[in-house]
Amino acid sequence: MLTPLLVTPALILATLAFASLNAAAGPLDSPGAQKSMVCSACHGFAGNSPGNTIPILAGMPPSYFKKAIKDYAEGKRPSPEMEPYSKYVLQVGIDEVAEYFAVQPRQPPRTKPDPNAVKRGAALAGQCAACHGPKGEGDAFRAVPAIQGQPAGYLQIQLTILKENKRKLDDTAVDEAKKAMLKPLSEADLAALAAYYSALR
Amino acid sequence: MKTLTRREFLKASGMGVALLGTGGAISFAAEAKRRVVVIGGGWGGATAAKYIRLGDAAIEVTLLEPNKEFISCPFSNLVLSGVESLQNLTMNYNGLRKHGVKIRHEAAGAIEPDKRRVRVGKDYLEYDRLVVSPGIDFQWDQVEGLAEAKDSVLHAWKAGPQTVQLAKQLQSMKDGGVVVMTVPPVAYRCPPGPYERASLIAWYLQTKKPKSKLVVLDANKDIVSKTGLFKAVFKDYSNLDYRPSQKVEKIDVRAKEVTTETGDKVKYDVINLIPPQRAAAIAVEADLVGGDKRWCEVDHVTYESVKQKNVHVVGDATIGLPVPKSGNVANAMGKICATAIVHLLNGKQPPILPPGNTCYSWVNDKEAIAVVNSYKVENGKVVQIEQKLTPGKSVITAQNSLVWRTSIWNDVLG
Repeated sequence: MLTPLLVTPALILATLAFASLNAAAGPLDSPGAQKSMVCSACHGFAGNSPGNTIPILAGMPPSYFKKAIKDYAEGKRPSPEMEPYSKYVLQVGIDEVAEYFAVQPRQPPRTKPDPNAVKRGAALAGQCAACHGPKGEGDAFRAVPAIQGQPAGYLQIQLTILKENKRKLDDTAVDEAKKAMLKPLSEADLAALAAYYSALR
Repeated sequence: MKTLTRREFLKASGMGVALLGTGGAISFAAEAKRRVVVIGGGWGGATAAKYIRLGDAAIEVTLLEPNKEFISCPFSNLVLSGVESLQNLTMNYNGLRKHGVKIRHEAAGAIEPDKRRVRVGKDYLEYDRLVVSPGIDFQWDQVEGLAEAKDSVLHAWKAGPQTVQLAKQLQSMKDGGVVVMTVPPVAYRCPPGPYERASLIAWYLQTKKPKSKLVVLDANKDIVSKTGLFKAVFKDYSNLDYRPSQKVEKIDVRAKEVTTETGDKVKYDVINLIPPQRAAAIAVEADLVGGDKRWCEVDHVTYESVKQKNVHVVGDATIGLPVPKSGNVANAMGKICATAIVHLLNGKQPPILPPGNTCYSWVNDKEAIAVVNSYKVENGKVVQIEQKLTPGKSVITAQNSLVWRTSIWNDVLG
């Protein structure tokens, strides 16, 4: 870690100062890592959830992470699990937790989606791309979630909840458009869409 | 690569500049190896051991756990109703070894806090910091006749051979038999556990032995946890006879009868007596328990014992925090305690981190209920922010619990 640059004492001091910050830096040596520590019980180490119905937080843009936490805390996204934990995150410091997850390298979901469902999902995904992007990459600026590479089980649950109007978005027009889009889709269609986006990178 | 504490860096940095100036390699004086011993490889201890290594790989961590395998208490009630196998709840410790945790499958003999060492057989393990996560022991003497009968009267409250034995007893009971289970007075391991068990035994009897019944003798005045939800669930089971304020005081294995505090005598074909509990013997013998002689009081930020310096206690053996004795809380305590120890051993102020709790209870072969708690630390004490219950039983909650277990077992052992 210490780079033997023999330039000027000032530069050497700067190098050493930088090294000192990182010297004892284990993966837990940042406020964000520590404040998100209880999350790993469900969301996996560094936000890489091993479970099929729990979202991967690694690599999530802070804008969307914060929106999700606030929506849970305000009951816009009803969840017995996340309502208390969203208040935990707000209490310990949402900015640091959001920044921590944003910079963690994202691993692919552990449950591999069914290839046939992925193919069927591709054919249904046209309308989703308008907001979520051609690869489901989302739009961090507008806090549109990146849905690519999330566990299929999680995506399917969210699609079902949105279809049943149990999860409110902030923009009523988007809410209505989304409901209208999802209305004609069967449960198998939603599963196929979920599989498609889960497989996308 | 050798890690460097901030203090050592500051001491060494001046010299480092001089050495660099001459183009020489820097070599810092080797710091003394810092050692942590962890007693108990359950939810709390295994997590603490892993996270200390994650936090600072220069700390040597030795875990003392007599069992070669980890068996999850959560989900073991499903084994009693034949819905789950103990094998699916059994895991090895190889994941911890990969993190560099040294594991000795031996029991800690005694703690000597003044000498900062733990006796293991004839050997001693010295420590800079000790984590005690020994779980619970039973207070056999609280029920007359129990100490002599403890090999045949099953508790099945530590998942393992007794879980399988109790399942067999239930399976071999004739239809029309009476199962009696007793709930100990608070505090005990897993507050909703007895009521989950009651639901699952009632479900099993209703399905497989419809003429049988279950009598639940509760030492407490009411259902201790998820009260409203369990009351609704109990209505599904006409074969379940729930009796509050019926602390069991005596057992007669010959007459197959228990006597409660009100003098009621209840006959049984199968008995599941969950005895009153306290912190495991090693914690009591090391004088870590408080005035109640049962549980260990700790600092809410570092989990250091209020009675012994450099000794931290996590998991079910603790008392005084407004948290349940659950696997999820033990896991959270393990992580927070590990972070505190890494900071303390590096001469830094430990961060203030509150725990959290997610707790599922199955109520039949497909459905579950849940409670989730979050906390904050206020003036050095853990305080609850919010508690949320599921609206009722559901298949989704049961499915969520299976995903939760995959994740948290991985967090504890992976």
